[in-house]
Amino acid sequence: MTIEMTLPLLKDPQMQFGAITFFAKQHQGDTCGSNGLPLTPNSIIIVGRAQILKTIKNPYLCNYLDIIRGKHERTIVVSQYCGTPLINFIEKRPFSVDEIKRIAYQTLEGLKVLHQRKMIHRTLSNENILLQANGDVKLFNYGLFHMSDMGSLVSFPVLQVLYTAPEVYLNGLSSSYSDPKMDIWSLGICLAELALNKVLWSSLKLGQKIRKVTTLLQVDTSIFEKIAREHNCYEQYLELPEDLKDLIEECLNIYPNKRPACDKLIENPCFADFKVKPTKTISKICEPFQIFTIHELYHLWQLAGGDVFQELKKQGLIRSSPPVLSVPSLVLIEGTILGQERNPSTLYDPRIVQMPLDSLYQRFAHIPFPVFYPLIHCKSEIIAKFDPPPYDATGLPLIIKERDPEYQLHRVILLRRLLHGYPFTKDLIFEEANKDIPPFLRGEIWATLLNIKANYDIEYLRIDKFTHTTTDRQIEVDIPRCHQYNELLSSTEGHKKLKRILKAWVCQNSHYVYWQGLDSLTAPFLFLNFNDEAKAFACLSAFVPKFLHNFFLKDNSAVIEEYLCKFSQLIAFHDPHLANHLYEINFYPQLFAIPWFLTLFSHVFPLYKILHLWDKLLLCDSSFPIHIGLSVLTQLRDRLLTSGFNECILLFSDLPEVDIEKCVMLSMATFKITPKSITSRLHENEMFHKKTELDITGIGLEELKKERCSRISVNDVVRLVRSDFEGVVLVDIRNHTVFSRCSVVGSINIPFSSVSFSENVIENVGAQASTIKSKGDKVLVVIGDEETDLERFPEFLLQCNISKVCVLHGGFNTLLPITPTILTSTISI
Amino acid sequence: MKMDQQDFTYINDQHGIELSILIPYEDSIEELAHILIIKHNLPLYIEKELTEHIFEFIEARSSEYFEELSKSIVNKAKDHEIDFEEVTKEWEKVMREEMVEFGEKRCASDEELFATAYHKLVHSPALETMLQLEHMYSKSVRQKAEEKNILIKKLSNRQSEEMNKAVDRLEQDMTETKINELVASHYETHSLLQGKLTSELDTMKEAQRREYREWIMQMVEQNQANSSLPTPNSPLSPAPLKDFPSNESNTSRDQINQSILEESFTIHLGSQLKQMHNIRILSANVMDLCAIEDNELLSEPTPQLLQTALGLYSNDLTGLVLMTDNKIGSRLTQDFQEICQRTTEFHFPHIEEQLDKISDVALQYFKKPLLESSRNAHSELLQPGDFYLTRHSNLAQVHVIFHMVTDDSLRGSDINSRHPVVLGLRHILKTACSNDVTSLTIPLLLQYDMTEEMTINWCEKRAELVFKCVKGFMIEMASWGGSELKNLQFMLPEGISNGVFTSMTEMLPRIFKVCNPKILK
Repeated sequence: MTIEMTLPLLKDPQMQFGAITFFAKQHQGDTCGSNGLPLTPNSIIIVGRAQILKTIKNPYLCNYLDIIRGKHERTIVVSQYCGTPLINFIEKRPFSVDEIKRIAYQTLEGLKVLHQRKMIHRTLSNENILLQANGDVKLFNYGLFHMSDMGSLVSFPVLQVLYTAPEVYLNGLSSSYSDPKMDIWSLGICLAELALNKVLWSSLKLGQKIRKVTTLLQVDTSIFEKIAREHNCYEQYLELPEDLKDLIEECLNIYPNKRPACDKLIENPCFADFKVKPTKTISKICEPFQIFTIHELYHLWQLAGGDVFQELKKQGLIRSSPPVLSVPSLVLIEGTILGQERNPSTLYDPRIVQMPLDSLYQRFAHIPFPVFYPLIHCKSEIIAKFDPPPYDATGLPLIIKERDPEYQLHRVILLRRLLHGYPFTKDLIFEEANKDIPPFLRGEIWATLLNIKANYDIEYLRIDKFTHTTTDRQIEVDIPRCHQYNELLSSTEGHKKLKRILKAWVCQNSHYVYWQGLDSLTAPFLFLNFNDEAKAFACLSAFVPKFLHNFFLKDNSAVIEEYLCKFSQLIAFHDPHLANHLYEINFYPQLFAIPWFLTLFSHVFPLYKILHLWDKLLLCDSSFPIHIGLSVLTQLRDRLLTSGFNECILLFSDLPEVDIEKCVMLSMATFKITPKSITSRLHENEMFHKKTELDITGIGLEELKKERCSRISVNDVVRLVRSDFEGVVLVDIRNHTVFSRCSVVGSINIPFSSVSFSENVIENVGAQASTIKSKGDKVLVVIGDEETDLERFPEFLLQCNISKVCVLHGGFNTLLPITPTILTSTISI
Repeated sequence: MKMDQQDFTYINDQHGIELSILIPYEDSIEELAHILIIKHNLPLYIEKELTEHIFEFIEARSSEYFEELSKSIVNKAKDHEIDFEEVTKEWEKVMREEMVEFGEKRCASDEELFATAYHKLVHSPALETMLQLEHMYSKSVRQKAEEKNILIKKLSNRQSEEMNKAVDRLEQDMTETKINELVASHYETHSLLQGKLTSELDTMKEAQRREYREWIMQMVEQNQANSSLPTPNSPLSPAPLKDFPSNESNTSRDQINQSILEESFTIHLGSQLKQMHNIRILSANVMDLCAIEDNELLSEPTPQLLQTALGLYSNDLTGLVLMTDNKIGSRLTQDFQEICQRTTEFHFPHIEEQLDKISDVALQYFKKPLLESSRNAHSELLQPGDFYLTRHSNLAQVHVIFHMVTDDSLRGSDINSRHPVVLGLRHILKTACSNDVTSLTIPLLLQYDMTEEMTINWCEKRAELVFKCVKGFMIEMASWGGSELKNLQFMLPEGISNGVFTSMTEMLPRIFKVCNPKILK
């Protein structure tokens, strides 16, 4: 029953998309930018500029979906494409006056949105106005002029010959003239064609057409009338109602300043019937919820194997002649290329290729309708029974899950709903994010995991990102070196945005300084929220205090040193063998790990790896990066153990490939089994780490540096003893008498004085050696008091390669006040 | 090219603000308002009012600005101050050049048609027959060439015998005049025979080329008609093979292989995203990459040819950098040209023809008066760092040759990264990148021959320079948006000492980051 029901949602006639392709202009010769770096390829600039188009949502404009960059400056633009171009109906069927008015009105509404955003359509024509089945129109390809920076990034002129306003021709080819009034003229021509039901000047040649348009400037009478007469339609012209005639006449004024602007034209009384009256009271707080969007459809289509490039090739829009036929014959030292003919396949071809959706429909044919309406809060078993069984992808690797269209469909539908309910659904989102985060919604999910408030955009707006500051120079040096393999981040637009965000951060955090690496830290947020600078900034602002509290102080040495000490201790805790080796060859974390932690690995890994790593990081706390560091070392363990100091330095000067999925799993595993107090620090952000007297406090850096084994808090020891007694070995090193008087339940006694430290052999501890040796993965807590040396003994154990050694903070006496007590006495009184 | 902008002064008396604003204004007006609030220490509640005020100001100035701009041009047009013809022509030209709909309707050229046909066929079961056929053709050309050599040799022998006899009889019935006549007639016969045989050879090649191309087209047509591939029939009946002991050929192959020193590396570039490339250092005679093993004894074509044929019209071309001097087709390339002529070129113009065309292109360019000052204005010769390209289908392992112009300064030991040849190398990589040449061979010492100044020190210094520069260029290449270089071969002169070779292979991992081996557990 469900099969027929799902598809209508997907098969919405407006959920169709197509692609156009063109080549960006090649940079001539070898030129450098003003900063001495190579110029950004024009196709990358286009990709950056075009991103903003994706955010335009209007019923009368086609949605932009994607911009893809191919080899040799090829650019492909994917956008919604549905309905039929008006040109296909002209001379085939008449348009009623009302129809024309409606088209005019909706086109104006579309143009208004563009003009408000300071964008100009420039190619408005009856080929780019698509008539939908319901009689509405949608404008197509309105972003070409904007993304090509007023045509300067492409070598072909961006216009439609007949529809272009005469002043555009007069201004010449290289002019960047950008008066929005030129679109009004184009609209006038479109309407004239519709009103006369004639394709204008269809028999003329190219040169004659251009001349025709420019000579209209000489006309002193009505231009519309002249056009009608030229096409033998004067009678038709006379029959048209006055208001429509006037409207067209107004648009076709040869003086651009006398043409009314969009918002003026829309007020024309003849449009009164078409205005959409605000029917429902629309919530001011949140936008209406859309069950399914075309952006999702495109995303899923790609996952299901859709490939724009292949489609364009299949339908003949990308033709490639063999490169060997077109190599140049001579290249001079100045970079002049001679004897290479212009490859005809690089010319601009305005054809649009519709993307086939049949395979996607088939792929999703079996998906029942209720999937689109997941029940979130319902506890009823009866209703739950009718729910379709969940799509099972557990146990599959993350990479596979991310590419499974069906799984992603479920995830995206569920999570987009939850996101719509934010902040009330915060806990549910957290729970779902624990499973995995669908890449399509990652930016938004991260923002919720970081507790971004709704007014983040206003806060960002109010920050001065313009005024020059002393850090500008450093920022400008860093940005062109930050994740430049990524198209968005290397685009001009990306550089501009990154600079603004960094300046805003510096301005907002006057107690901190700009450290190199902050750029890398910002990169993932900007990448995910490219069209929402404010959100990227808000994420960064929430991220730093949570994970890098005080790392950006002017003098951050104390914070970093403590962090690195904890890193060393964690290595010792989990992998004494490796810790001892690194200790012996004097290979300290200071030598390699500072950029790791200062940028939370965003400086060492490529973006796609950072995303997966941070997916988990955001669910954990500021100790998680230490575990990531440990997992990286674990992956390189074999090489490290066989390497000396020099080899290690070389190895880390350029970190070898790290398997990120393994890395995430390892670090999650150690994060879960390590008692929290092992990684607790003095410089933690108190907001996220509340402390009591039973936690570790007040350990100075000097003291910490001396300890190779970590301390453990009373809280953790008590918890271990009470709930996980099998997982812990308690070694009491006080002398026997005190031990027998009072000790922790189940603890063993190895009096400190009885151990000889002359050799690193575990047998030296005496009778209990076998217990320690066979303890396996249990945590070993050393308990002493003021009279025992709490450094020598644990270090000895470490040197004997005993893992998970830690020392009770505060000594035995801190256990005394615990109730209910965990102490016992072997001497019966 | 940035938009022209005009400066307007915004004045707000109420709050004492004066600010110059560029129209058209592109940034956010709200942000501007906030910057002003901060700068002038104004209360926050005026943000709305201020924003609106600035917005109105900008709107008004913008329309003023555009009015100014358009009015003048429209009026000029009305007053016939603008030449409409000129404007129209300019636009028309660009549109014809850049847009498919107005450009010349253009059919695929013969070259392209043949390329498509060949590419299709070469990736079908017909491949074997094709290679066999090519092999047979080349064999008959070789045979013919050999015959030619034998005939010429015979003639020379006979002539010298005759001459000897004549000289011997000088005292008897021969006079000096007669001898001179004899010399003249000998010379004439010799050149006649030479010319005749050469033209026969050329005719043969031409015939082969025509026959071969026709055959290919025919095969493809048949293929399309039947929609399945017919059993390929070679137009030639198999030539009778002379029986030679085959083990001899094997030994000769082995000998060649032994003399090659080579070592391969997989390296990665880039600090975060790592791009992999293959690099090989080898020491061999560079002509080994070009010459198809001249082995009449083999009935089978050598396997490298298969690879070369498959890649010819693909997007993975193989290139080789050869060194030459400033004259196009100079004597330095003689060896190479000879190798090209050993067999028939079925796809591209013959080497001389290609070189002639390049000379024409160069000449035409140098004639133009508009030359950059950096170039010696009167010289029609090429300069070091320039290079020209030739295309080949009948070489063993390469499709495209980059002929780099060099001079004697390369022998010195003090060249640096700004040397023209190094710059030329950068252009070669760039050209490779934008023309889908994805495998490239470069002389590591910028020379293919051993010379006396090549001390160990000299070699190391030179190799370090080339390694480092090429690394830099490759990093740069990543942002050029072309096809990436997959395989890079650094070639050392044949017969270089083991010591030098080892020192090169040890140097490479110090300059390039070599990938860590994956260890299976």
